[in-house]
Amino acid sequence: MNIGLLETGSGYWNAIIWVLVTIIVGIGVLWLRNKGEGSYKKDTNQTKPFLSGNPEVSKEDSHVGASHIYWGFTEALKNYYEPLIKLHTGDINDYSGWIVLVMAIIFIIVGVS
Amino acid sequence: MKLDKYLDRSLWVFHLNTGSCNGCDIEIVALLTPRYDVERFGIKLVGSPKHADILLVTGPVNRKMLPRLKLIYEQTPDPKAVIVVGTCGTSGGVFYDSYNIVGPVDKHIPVDVYVPGCPIRPEAIINGVLKAWLKLERLRGSSGAEIEKKIEEVSA
Repeated sequence: MNIGLLETGSGYWNAIIWVLVTIIVGIGVLWLRNKGEGSYKKDTNQTKPFLSGNPEVSKEDSHVGASHIYWGFTEALKNYYEPLIKLHTGDINDYSGWIVLVMAIIFIIVGVS
Repeated sequence: MKLDKYLDRSLWVFHLNTGSCNGCDIEIVALLTPRYDVERFGIKLVGSPKHADILLVTGPVNRKMLPRLKLIYEQTPDPKAVIVVGTCGTSGGVFYDSYNIVGPVDKHIPVDVYVPGCPIRPEAIINGVLKAWLKLERLRGSSGAEIEKKIEEVSA
């Protein structure tokens, strides 16, 4: 019987066998799922996660930002970071002022030497 | 909490301390030691009420623990049984009428078995779990004769 068996030097491959295996595994999964606990009460706390008896906080409040993983790093280098953060005001006039100031210092150094 | 009636399992217990002095909790831990070894009966302490059949409550219920007690009770799947272990959870004990106590436990959630004592003996807790198991068997629809047969099997 020709069922489209593709033979190679290291084995064989057949789409129909794959489909049959998928169907059999799928039936097994559905059977196992059907045996699960179906008596839980929907829309009650039984469906909420267990957080040691504490109420579930909103997704926004429980979000852990990427910067949190650097907490120890920034805490250890606090003396370095705090002045830098103060300098970063977000005001373009401040940044322009810094450029003018630094350029003036460079010109003075270059001019004197 | 079972896949099939032929794949039933033993009782799993979730322990909740609602402000106990830890005396009862130490006795509960003693149950797991080789001397009493309740795990030989399959009775196991679990880390989540979602896996539990029985809620084992100690302590007189202080204000901070009340919402947690209610929430954990709600999160325990049905059918469930509640065992109160110790005098404090049963009646308030030495903390009775204290400004910070809102218990006893049965004022807030339904209790099936009381195991009084200060602290209780581990044998008394095992007996309490057996009582709760009988209640759960009734909830699951077993008849009186079936339950007696199971008790005989356990005793044998």
